[in-house]
Amino acid sequence: MVQVPLEERARRIRRTILRLAATPVGCHLGGSLSMVELLVVLLGRVMNVRPQEPRWEERDSLILSKGHAAAGLYAALAEFGFIDTEELVQRYNAEGSPYTGHVSAAVPGVEFPTGSLGHGLGLGVGMALGHRLRQRANRVFVVCGDGEMGEGSNWEALQIAAQHELSGLTVLVDRNGGQNDGPTESILSQGALVQRLSAFGLGTVEVDGHDMEALARVLEAPAEGPRAIVANTKKGAGVPMLRGKGPHYATFNPEQLKRALASLGEVTP
Amino acid sequence: MTSSTSSGADLLTAPSDWLAEQPGLSNRLVFRHALARLADQDERVVLLEADLAGGGDPYAARHPERFLNLGICEAAMLDIASGMAATGHVVFAHTFAPFGAMRACEQVRLGLAYARANVKLVCDYGGLSGAFFGPTHHAIEDLAILRAMPNMTVVSPADGLETIQATRAVLEMEGPVYLRLGRNRVTRLDVARPAFALGRAMCLREGSDVGIIAHGEVGVSMALDVAARLETQGISARVVNLHTLKPFDEEALLETAERTRLLVTVEEHSILGGLGGAVCESVASHGLGRRVVRAGIQDRYDSAAGTHESLLQRHGLEAGALVETILGALPRPRLAALAPSRRG
Repeated sequence: MVQVPLEERARRIRRTILRLAATPVGCHLGGSLSMVELLVVLLGRVMNVRPQEPRWEERDSLILSKGHAAAGLYAALAEFGFIDTEELVQRYNAEGSPYTGHVSAAVPGVEFPTGSLGHGLGLGVGMALGHRLRQRANRVFVVCGDGEMGEGSNWEALQIAAQHELSGLTVLVDRNGGQNDGPTESILSQGALVQRLSAFGLGTVEVDGHDMEALARVLEAPAEGPRAIVANTKKGAGVPMLRGKGPHYATFNPEQLKRALASLGEVTP
Repeated sequence: MTSSTSSGADLLTAPSDWLAEQPGLSNRLVFRHALARLADQDERVVLLEADLAGGGDPYAARHPERFLNLGICEAAMLDIASGMAATGHVVFAHTFAPFGAMRACEQVRLGLAYARANVKLVCDYGGLSGAFFGPTHHAIEDLAILRAMPNMTVVSPADGLETIQATRAVLEMEGPVYLRLGRNRVTRLDVARPAFALGRAMCLREGSDVGIIAHGEVGVSMALDVAARLETQGISARVVNLHTLKPFDEEALLETAERTRLLVTVEEHSILGGLGGAVCESVASHGLGRRVVRAGIQDRYDSAAGTHESLLQRHGLEAGALVETILGALPRPRLAALAPSRRG
């Protein structure tokens, strides 16, 4: 089987996300694009998964706590063969479809319905505790938003992860600096996030969230306890037209889609 | 604290004998012994606590590896419960009712109900049983809130025996459950009863004048007391123990309405939205046109200190007061027929 380079995977996922923004109700665009490299490295290199058998017992789990970025997760699941890309684009937010605007567990590859913020970490801690109790090696990866770290339930869950030395758990914070109402720093600062996560007892590193080699290196390093990765990213990353500060939410018209795809180097028919 | 096997009788095979040997145990402790015993034969069982397990917990002593005290983190505890359930465990998560059902309400809704997680949220301090601790520790709205959540099963055992039976039943079923217990009572109903089945109300006493439908420790014992007092006044009361508030046993309600002239609900919960609410909804939706007297906690917080019993009294949850209310509310068709017509 021909290995598709991870960079190409990321480009294709971005194209799908842009197409989802051009569906009638649009999508959470900026935060979907910012986490593309995180998802590519996880699903394409680090995690042990079987796209044809999404509930395989030995799988590693991915929980998208920032569930509003559903378009990004669905697009990545399509790229890695869990679902069909064309079906996703046709049915995203369509009447009766499982592809809802916040993550639905009816979609293969999704573990829990998320989107109300502050739940993913607790769910992930629970899965990691459950696997350990059953003496299984499955790992759990939780992707949170930086704005989402305002929710107190996250800090409850992090304390518990540290107290129980949950080495099966990795938290990735997509530090894209934006939330619904504007820049995260101007609303509720997460400025000392690395220090705060470290102080809570997690082995914490800060990386460029668009550098897949760097991400892979930290994710593949052996873990002694629960880990956190603060991935510095840009909203709307990877789409030149958006200049790395894409909108939180967008509904593209056909002309905007054409320009966005063209800025990725794709000629639309 | 007595361990679940130090006495002669076995809790699971001879629950009544086991209870008779431990007359002082409240239902919340009966639950802990029952779960400890059930976990002997079911490896999937896990118990989570949020710093309110108390000392010397029989489950913790017996199954330390499947007991996790997560600290004062109710919201995270319930999401964690859902995550653990997704890996194949049957997770019992315990805390006080105001914190489990209300502080962590969204975790119950999304982590348990929406996700259909195999998690049993077990809360004591139901109703006013937290008494002296004040309204922060009273749970008077929990049944209304949890009953409104799709996929949720809501159960309040009436006494020790039912607590053992309900604990076993919720372990054997798949899906999210709210199991509500009190704090203080040592309720041991001295009444013959049919087998316990989730979702199926049980008739504890037949009667033809008043149909009393009751829920929970205080509700059911008060209903039986009221029925006995009514009998001395020549009024016959049917008493139905509706231990499972959801799914709601409509058939039992319709049967009771058919056989009696007045419906009365008794519960240690707000008269809004709980058992009284559920019965009124059914009565209206079936067009029964029947009056329903709702005995329960009146629509107010009571911040004055008091014993459990006095707090119940202040809300009219007291057998003598309820008897008076029922006597005043009973329709008297025969007397009405004898009375001269007011129209002349």
